[in-house]
Amino acid sequence: MKYRSYLILLISIPLLAFTIHKYYISLCEVEYIPEKQSVQIIISHFIDDLEISLNNEGQKNLFLATNKEVKNSNQIFEAYLNKHLKFTINNKETTYQFIGKEYDDDLVRFYLEIPNIEKLTSIEVENTCLIKDFDDQQNIIKIKVKKFNKTLYLTKNNVKGLLNFQQNN
Amino acid sequence: MKKITVAILSLVFLTTALFAQENSQEKVRQKGHYNSSKFKQLDEELPTPNKQHTASGAPGYEYTQQQVDYKMNIILDDDNQKIFGEETITYHNNSKDALEYLWVQLDQNMRAPNSKSNDINGGGPDVLYTPAKFAKTFMGKPFEGGFNIDYIKDANGNSLNYMINFTMMRVDLPKPLASGEKFVFNIKWWYNINDYMADRGRSGYEPFPDGNNLYVIAQFFPRLAVYNNVKGWQNLQFWGSSEFALEFGNYDVSITTPKDHILNATGVIQNPKDVFTKDQYKRYEAAKTAFDKPVFIVTPEEALAAENGKATSTKTWKFYAENVRDFAFSSSRKFIWDAMAVDFNGKTVMAYSLYPNEGNPLWEEHSTKVVANTLKVYSESTFDYPYPHATSINAERQGMEYPMICWNGGRPDANGKYNDRTKKGMIGVITHEVGHNFFPMIVNSDEREWTWMDEGINSFVEILAEYKYDPELFPLSKYPKNIVRYMAGDQDRLTPIMTQGDNIFNFGSNAYAKPAAGLFILRQTIMGPELFDHAFKTYAKRWKFKHPTPADFFRSMEDASAMDLDWFWRGWFYTTGNNDIGIKEVKKYHVTDKPTEQAENLAKRYGITVDQLPPSLYLISEDSKDYTDDIKGKKPEDYSVLNSYLQDNFTAEEKATLKSPKYFYELVFEKPGDLVMPIIVEFEYEDGTKERKQYPAEIWRLNDDEVTKVFPSSKVISKITVDPDEETADVDTSNNSWPKNTETQFDNFKKKQIKG
Repeated sequence: MKYRSYLILLISIPLLAFTIHKYYISLCEVEYIPEKQSVQIIISHFIDDLEISLNNEGQKNLFLATNKEVKNSNQIFEAYLNKHLKFTINNKETTYQFIGKEYDDDLVRFYLEIPNIEKLTSIEVENTCLIKDFDDQQNIIKIKVKKFNKTLYLTKNNVKGLLNFQQNN
Repeated sequence: MKKITVAILSLVFLTTALFAQENSQEKVRQKGHYNSSKFKQLDEELPTPNKQHTASGAPGYEYTQQQVDYKMNIILDDDNQKIFGEETITYHNNSKDALEYLWVQLDQNMRAPNSKSNDINGGGPDVLYTPAKFAKTFMGKPFEGGFNIDYIKDANGNSLNYMINFTMMRVDLPKPLASGEKFVFNIKWWYNINDYMADRGRSGYEPFPDGNNLYVIAQFFPRLAVYNNVKGWQNLQFWGSSEFALEFGNYDVSITTPKDHILNATGVIQNPKDVFTKDQYKRYEAAKTAFDKPVFIVTPEEALAAENGKATSTKTWKFYAENVRDFAFSSSRKFIWDAMAVDFNGKTVMAYSLYPNEGNPLWEEHSTKVVANTLKVYSESTFDYPYPHATSINAERQGMEYPMICWNGGRPDANGKYNDRTKKGMIGVITHEVGHNFFPMIVNSDEREWTWMDEGINSFVEILAEYKYDPELFPLSKYPKNIVRYMAGDQDRLTPIMTQGDNIFNFGSNAYAKPAAGLFILRQTIMGPELFDHAFKTYAKRWKFKHPTPADFFRSMEDASAMDLDWFWRGWFYTTGNNDIGIKEVKKYHVTDKPTEQAENLAKRYGITVDQLPPSLYLISEDSKDYTDDIKGKKPEDYSVLNSYLQDNFTAEEKATLKSPKYFYELVFEKPGDLVMPIIVEFEYEDGTKERKQYPAEIWRLNDDEVTKVFPSSKVISKITVDPDEETADVDTSNNSWPKNTETQFDNFKKKQIKG
């Protein structure tokens, strides 16, 4: 039986929707850089999975990561992320800047930034990307604040995670 | 002179030790401990070697293995998606033991209405249920799958007692089967074939909108479980994920299908004239000399014509397969069949592909060529492929292997268009599944117990085969760093590779990618291709057509290479640790003949004056208070103490070959990671030239956290990078360079964006 293995994900995904154990995974890495007062976010999806999800939301014929890719793909991605990936920093819903995307093998990586965060006391992540498209979708969030590391595993049963840092600051 | 130096030095040692004791204020009682060295031999983890599985990793002279032969008549009922079978099993007891019963595997029972395979999976309610999902989960009648056993009889027609425990069936023998004897019995059975597209099965049928089915028929008959020297009867249930453990034997199989079906299976067709049309038969024979490129046996036009009709009569395909551990077949009226001959030292092996028109043009362009390439690369790494054919069959959402035959997904869209991702996925899965012919179909490890032994080892050779097929599509540069994110993950969600397949979190990473990455590191970085390839081949040849265990692999790799790799197996296979090596501190020294502060202290401690120290050179660091500008320009030979020594001991020619280092770098390497690995260091000099140095993993044997080395150089170093090519799966590269690089992946990307 075959599983593809990937650069990024914690998990390899079985090839072409292998029957028993196709894992649907995304990885979102969040790091707070106090010197830059910035929360840096890198979220990766499998291009195929994301394209299906966008199709389901009415965005057809995108030809992602091919030479026929639609011109406004960045706008489409940004709108999708704004809808499905939300951050609440210090109890306040916060928007992020879409810095850009890069394709790597079967993955697409989005770079997002929340600037001007002087002090981080709490961070809440809501990630509903691909959740309604794939029953087994698991969205992994890795949060790094100074020496503190935490991993959240979000699924259809639980799309939100909250972390408090009061004690550490 | 030498003696005095040694005396002084040993004294230094002693005094330092004394100092340390005097300085400690409180006397803390230190606890003793077991040997916790990462280089400790694996004697406690590995089973004690014996005359069956020897200390060298080879099979011993008392090694035994059972043989099971099958004669089967199969009927495929396409109208009702049912399959019927009558099988005669001949069990050869080659062990030294008398057996009171036989265990037979009934893998289809995983799909029986009373199956427990779903009951072992936890999980709360879903947030939302589609109507289809709701009906299936809470309201539907379960699929009536699983074996229906009509009878089990001995050779004389007497019924045998049997007992079914989920996917395993115990057949009681009338009298114990003595060593060297055989037992013949018959089983008649049938079952409903599942639509695997709906229930996600490892076998079943794929329905098409045109009303036709493509049958993926595997683990379809009651099969004997393995009885071996290490486990006795293999008695882990089939929960649906961890695969199979099976005995070798010969198969004589007749399969009756609708007359318009095309079929291939494990083994060779015994009656090609009966089952092919005249033209097809001619092409089937002609293909045996088609060494250059694939040719059709069943053309796309013939397949199109067949799928638009529906035969009411039947035909019977006869197959014979020798020394295989299993039997599987695929049948459909939609199949195109192409073929290519591959030469192995004078022996011809056929590479076949069967696919529906929906698979084209992708399949006719690549499948058979990929099969041929895979057989060649794997044969070079192990032994010549011993079977008469290898067949790749296109079935959607599959990737599953059996002897000589495998099913692979990947199709173009409705317009016949496909992108590189689809092509890459399809080539990847074919290479992987065809590669499984070697591991585990021939080097026959127990898949149920050790998924990594076939999946991991196979995924490793797959890397080499894919690279050979298309180096641009499958670059080697992504290994082993593809495993870094997994290994850096939450420790609560990691298990060692040495974990039974049903009990691991991430099947793909744990049993496929991590062992493959480990073997890649062993080959490319630790052992080198020459040593590795010979040892790997030794393992494959030793265990061809036998049942190896992990210890046999670990031991063979060391036995055939004279390398102690216990530290690598221990870390990479027995723990969840990861690798993180960094450069912590770099200090630049110059050479001087003036005693440094440390030398003065040494003299003081010894109770002598500085002048009484033996004539010596000293290394002085640039940040020392005694460091002066006149030292800066000096070369070692400028000092008479060294120069006179060189004059006295070397000829002019010898002197000409001596190196002349000017700078001495004290390098402190840190290792926050659990694993031990070689330290690969790249030095970049002021003039832009580079040099590499690799310290063996054993450098960590006495200090697991930090090691210091002195690196002499005639040029000033401007940059030092640890593991510059990312070949050791280092999970944190932020400490890999000096001067320290504080830029994150994010910063680098952002900078690039702004520039672009």
